[in-house]
Amino acid sequence: MKSYRLRVCLSLFVSMFLLLWGTHAFAEKPIILGAPLSTAYLYGWDAERGIKLAVDEINAAGGVNVNGKKRLFKVEVIDTRDLEPGVPVSEALMALERLILNKNADFILGGPNRSEAALAAMSLLSKHKKISIVTSGVLTPKYHKMVAEKYDKFKYCFRIHGEAVNLIGEMIANFADLKAKYGLTKVFIMAQDVSHARGAAKVMGKVAGSKGFEVTGTEIFPTGTTDFSMALLKAKKTGSQIINIWMDMPESAILLKQWYDLKIPALPFGSTLAAAEQPGFWKATQGKGEYTLCNVVNAGNAPSDATEWTMKFYNAYAKKWGVEPEGLGSSSSYMAVYVLKDAIERAGTIKSDKVVTALEQTDMMGVYGRLRFDPKSHQVIVALDPKDGAVGSILQWQDGKRVVVYPKSIAKGSIQLPPWMK
Amino acid sequence: MEILVYGTINSVSLALMGLGFAMVYGISRVPNFAHGALYIICGFVTWILFHSLGLPYFMAIILSLCVNGILGMLMYRFVLIRVRGMNISEIIASYAIGLVILEGLRFGGFRGMTYTLPAFMEGSLMIGDVPVDYHRIIMTIIGISLVAGLWLFTHYTKIGLALQGMAQDERAALMLGIDSDFMAMLAMGFGAVLAGVAATLILPLGNIVVESGYHVLIMSIAVCIVGGLGSWVGAFFAAFLIGYAQIITVVFIGSHFQMVVAILAIILTLILKPSGLFGHQKELEERV
Repeated sequence: MKSYRLRVCLSLFVSMFLLLWGTHAFAEKPIILGAPLSTAYLYGWDAERGIKLAVDEINAAGGVNVNGKKRLFKVEVIDTRDLEPGVPVSEALMALERLILNKNADFILGGPNRSEAALAAMSLLSKHKKISIVTSGVLTPKYHKMVAEKYDKFKYCFRIHGEAVNLIGEMIANFADLKAKYGLTKVFIMAQDVSHARGAAKVMGKVAGSKGFEVTGTEIFPTGTTDFSMALLKAKKTGSQIINIWMDMPESAILLKQWYDLKIPALPFGSTLAAAEQPGFWKATQGKGEYTLCNVVNAGNAPSDATEWTMKFYNAYAKKWGVEPEGLGSSSSYMAVYVLKDAIERAGTIKSDKVVTALEQTDMMGVYGRLRFDPKSHQVIVALDPKDGAVGSILQWQDGKRVVVYPKSIAKGSIQLPPWMK
Repeated sequence: MEILVYGTINSVSLALMGLGFAMVYGISRVPNFAHGALYIICGFVTWILFHSLGLPYFMAIILSLCVNGILGMLMYRFVLIRVRGMNISEIIASYAIGLVILEGLRFGGFRGMTYTLPAFMEGSLMIGDVPVDYHRIIMTIIGISLVAGLWLFTHYTKIGLALQGMAQDERAALMLGIDSDFMAMLAMGFGAVLAGVAATLILPLGNIVVESGYHVLIMSIAVCIVGGLGSWVGAFFAAFLIGYAQIITVVFIGSHFQMVVAILAIILTLILKPSGLFGHQKELEERV
């Protein structure tokens, strides 16, 4: 009886051991996606949520087919803090290096979020031969120009959303409409003291001037500024009719509240205006942010029917996170995972050089249109029609809702002026 | 006219930020580097009481000020009392508490720009040709009244005189039967309440973000160094000096240099008059 018990216990132990060992030995290693993001800020957490949503969907469907073997995605997020005042680039680089060396990330997705940090990270990515797709916040044109200039060194860097020059083009098109429809010709520019915003403000000033608009002034604000009244009064004094805002700091909500309180007769038209991108903006400003326009870079970050996938993504995001897509990095971060999956499956490997070639050949329909990368600069190709390329999206707050007003191919309404401007 | 109006508003808001810091240092000689954190936590507590628990706005404010006062006293009673008199340790300990509060709030999900408090009164009026919203006017009036009230409190009440005695000479105050630790704890509580008052007056103009805590701390330090460490009257005048300098900079040079003014004021004061504008006590110590 005793030896029978012993035999049963022994065989149970051996079978448990074999089962555990077998599972471990035969299960494919997950593909690790490192996400260096400034998670305390909108452009960090929206990217994190977008990436995790896509990863969950892909894993639920069986994972990634790498040369006939199914492998799951696993996300590792490290806070880079690069969106904080002072732009701590070194912290972002340390976070990125930790993802590569400690977390053994196979690919880097999402950030760093701040252009300064992303530019500094390019050499690090090249050193470790890690593919990176920036998806949220990096808007400087220098990013893809550097890839084009030194392709062999920076070929691992991709950007899946529009950049500052695209945004300026989209905004100028809207300014032209406002000029034709309401006679608005005077533009006052307000920008945050960070690389992409300073650069964009400078270019916007030049472009607006060349397109027949009068630029009445440009004000640059340090990150963390909490009072904008004097600049708003300057805008009013100079008879400005459009206030062009380039700010992603949370304090930009203060600017919009002050704009309403002082009843400044100029339409706030922002880009990377993080405060106004969020669905909670209306409640947070007690409705004072009505009429604010902002460029959310890609379709899908506000409700529209750009492609069949747009509202599917929109609703899935809202269901998973209990909030609608919030910032400019939501749809692009989500799509980056799908684009990477597609490239890995075509390459049949996760080896960087082969995946780079596969990514360059990407051509798929996504949440915000047809996704292709320029093979020389690795910048996503943008268009006005989702059938041709990645479409942007400009929304206006109207009666508590984010209404897409541009481009016309996906618009759900048209721009309205506040009552004190009529 | 706009320089006059917005210069005054900006100065009063700086004075509100710095008063609590100046008071705590003046009485207990503890540089409370958790001042910015206390400012932010009061904003969030008010937000929770008002939005989540549905309390009336003014009751939420009063309760959050009480919470802040208690928090300030607890900070002194359980942490700062142990390092009192050791300057570096005081700075490290209070800054650490501030970091724990601010980063804890961030970790706890208090992030983004959706946390706001309603203005006391909506609408605006014209002062000359300058539009000003009612909330700013109310904030300015309360701010100036608060300074006047503080002056009366420290000159005509028993506790106020005891606090002043502590500020002037702690050993002499001890000989007269004033419990210095209790008074320092009380000062810490008052300082925390003042940080809370500043928060409930200033935060409705914008939103409650954790990062503002660091900004408030820097501005408080600037105001106190320029005014003379330990002198809250000095802090009030320094706030006007920096406040007007900032507004003049914005008007004639550019918003970009607004923050530089405060930092420059600290550097210039430390070079030209390290004891600050009204730091008589420190000036005497320096001479000795």
